[in-house]
Amino acid sequence: MSELSVNHLLGIKYLNKEDIQLIFETADHFKEVINRPIKKVPSLRDITIANLFFENSTRTKLSFELAEKRLSADVINFSASQSSVKKGETLIDTVNNILSMKVDMVVMRHPNPGAGVFLSKHVNASIVNAGDGAHEHPTQALLDSYSIRERLGEVKGKNVVIVGDILHSRVALSNIYALQLQGAKVMVCGPKTLIPKYIDKLGVKVETDLRKALEWCDVANMLRVQNERMDISYFPSTREYTQQFGVDKALLDSLNKEITIMHPGPINRGVEITSDVADSKQAIILDQVQNGVAIRMAVIYLLASKIKQ
Amino acid sequence: MNVLIKSATIIDTKSEFHNQTLDILVEAGRISKIGTALENPNHYNILELENLHISQGWFDCSVSFGEPGLEERETIVNGLKTAAYSGFSTVAINANSHPVIDTNSDITFITSRALNHAVKVLPIGALTKESKGVDLAELYDMKTAGAVAYYDYQKPITNANLMKIALQYASNFNGLVCSFPQDNGIAGKGVMNEHITSTTLGLKGIPALAEELQVARDLFLLEYTGGKLHIPTISTAKSVELVREAKAKKLDVSCSVAIHNLFFDDSVLNDFNTHYKVLPPLRTQSDVDALVAGVKDGTIDMVTSDHNPLNIEEKKVEFDYATYGTIGLESAFGALQTLFSLKKSVEILTRGKQRFGTENTPIQVGNAANFTLFNPDAKYTFTTQDIVSKSKNAIFEGESLKGKSYGILNNNQLVLNLK
Repeated sequence: MSELSVNHLLGIKYLNKEDIQLIFETADHFKEVINRPIKKVPSLRDITIANLFFENSTRTKLSFELAEKRLSADVINFSASQSSVKKGETLIDTVNNILSMKVDMVVMRHPNPGAGVFLSKHVNASIVNAGDGAHEHPTQALLDSYSIRERLGEVKGKNVVIVGDILHSRVALSNIYALQLQGAKVMVCGPKTLIPKYIDKLGVKVETDLRKALEWCDVANMLRVQNERMDISYFPSTREYTQQFGVDKALLDSLNKEITIMHPGPINRGVEITSDVADSKQAIILDQVQNGVAIRMAVIYLLASKIKQ
Repeated sequence: MNVLIKSATIIDTKSEFHNQTLDILVEAGRISKIGTALENPNHYNILELENLHISQGWFDCSVSFGEPGLEERETIVNGLKTAAYSGFSTVAINANSHPVIDTNSDITFITSRALNHAVKVLPIGALTKESKGVDLAELYDMKTAGAVAYYDYQKPITNANLMKIALQYASNFNGLVCSFPQDNGIAGKGVMNEHITSTTLGLKGIPALAEELQVARDLFLLEYTGGKLHIPTISTAKSVELVREAKAKKLDVSCSVAIHNLFFDDSVLNDFNTHYKVLPPLRTQSDVDALVAGVKDGTIDMVTSDHNPLNIEEKKVEFDYATYGTIGLESAFGALQTLFSLKKSVEILTRGKQRFGTENTPIQVGNAANFTLFNPDAKYTFTTQDIVSKSKNAIFEGESLKGKSYGILNNNQLVLNLK
């Protein structure tokens, strides 16, 4: 049986092409499962998973929890607001305390880049990174690619533009790695203040003209502006941002081809995309959400099978 | 202290005995004879060590020990032992203790803790009260107690007018003003060098620009004010260029670089190892190359270990939360010799003393004995076993180094590390 080359999912940059292929094939199976009347399999009845969310999250947390429960794993949830972190406990101590209750796997969302990598070196459990600062959000990139594959047949050879706040985005970096690994071409588009200065060294194109970017691409992944991560205004107003980097139906219709619109959510309707775009048949935003559960089931299943060995 | 040192190869270009292997007789802490097969009529202790080399005592212009207030990081006594074991007979101690060293009595405390030690301590006072960057500390008063320079350790003076006033004021009594080269507005919340590695790690970057703007600003100010400026620990190619141009204009400026900034580039950070979190951050390979060239041609006056012991709790945390800094005294010589020849390494380790108000003591008969004793050919992997410091935050852990210190002979005392 095939297995992942890694014991943790810390980021896409630690995976290879075969890993992604294996995750997708496994997700195909689980997608079929979650569309059955009984949406559950007993695969992980002997596994306990802790969801540790040191940063607010709604959809990612729900998606992971649902994925774990549909695999019949035992699940415990922990969030920073109710935790001992605020009492000064270190991350390692917090996690080791939880692990001493015989937990096998940790799904962690954390505000600091590298928190998952750090944890994987100091605790004895399989770690799934559910987003670490502006570093990576690997399951999001996997479900994004999976959704492109589902809509367009394959990822290879496709032109994908990531639009918006690249600087503060973990989704962008994970997507760049995942798409390039599968043979897609990647462009980033946004105001220069929100694009890392050296991102071109990752082999991505950089464009500041949204129309040119949309004319080039097959898929546009529209990111939210992460105001909560900004210590200074990177652009004068939301209105001005939307004038330059918002996608509306008129802009979409003026292109000479029908492109696919994605968004990792939550959407700010009327900012990065208008409602008529979000609800159009070109948008696969809700497919992404559904695929998120299948992808997370696949990742957890594959990592758990390595624990069992 | 009397000792007969047998078969020591003298590495001192200021000495007529440079590159010769000779015996050295030290009586009452002074060099009384240098020659071949010296006799020992008074039956002094004889010192004979494998591949023994001797140079003038080494100098480090930037070490931090924590005491007073942060003794859990390092005490002055153990810090000086670390310096001696590592071959340093003179160290300038930063003011970054708790409280900050910013008064005459604080300076007196430091010197009294180091009184009669083999290692000569040169205390650095804070430039501003509590190193807050608002009001000047009592610079002259600290000088009367022995302060050799003024530096808010790793804290930039953001107010250009304050820096202007500091340079003007200190020039009244020939005081050396140090300015940490970083514009905090540009550096923002950065935690490592801004380049491809920071991009791939999602860590906020400190652009080279943050340093270069501050260096350029301070050099402009120096041109206006006159006085003596020292820029501690530069890290970028353009900073080297700016200092080179300033020296060509005959401005009274000196600068230093940390050894780790000569040894590593920022790609070593690729797995978020906090041992590599230092300030200024590790830069790119082209910066490293320019820094090495700057050391070779003398644009960079001093190389420092920028020794800064930190508790494990300050390092074994998420990268963003880790404190900047590394210990470096123990690995300094071994690391330098991987980059430079023996002669150059020793020259680097003995230069810059005069800038900090102390004299060179060439190895000549009649001079006070101020030696470092070492084996330049010892090759080893640096491990925690090599650490003398109380804290173990060593950036060089696991690196292959060349050259080990046996210890020092200074201030009429012999301190040897012969484990």
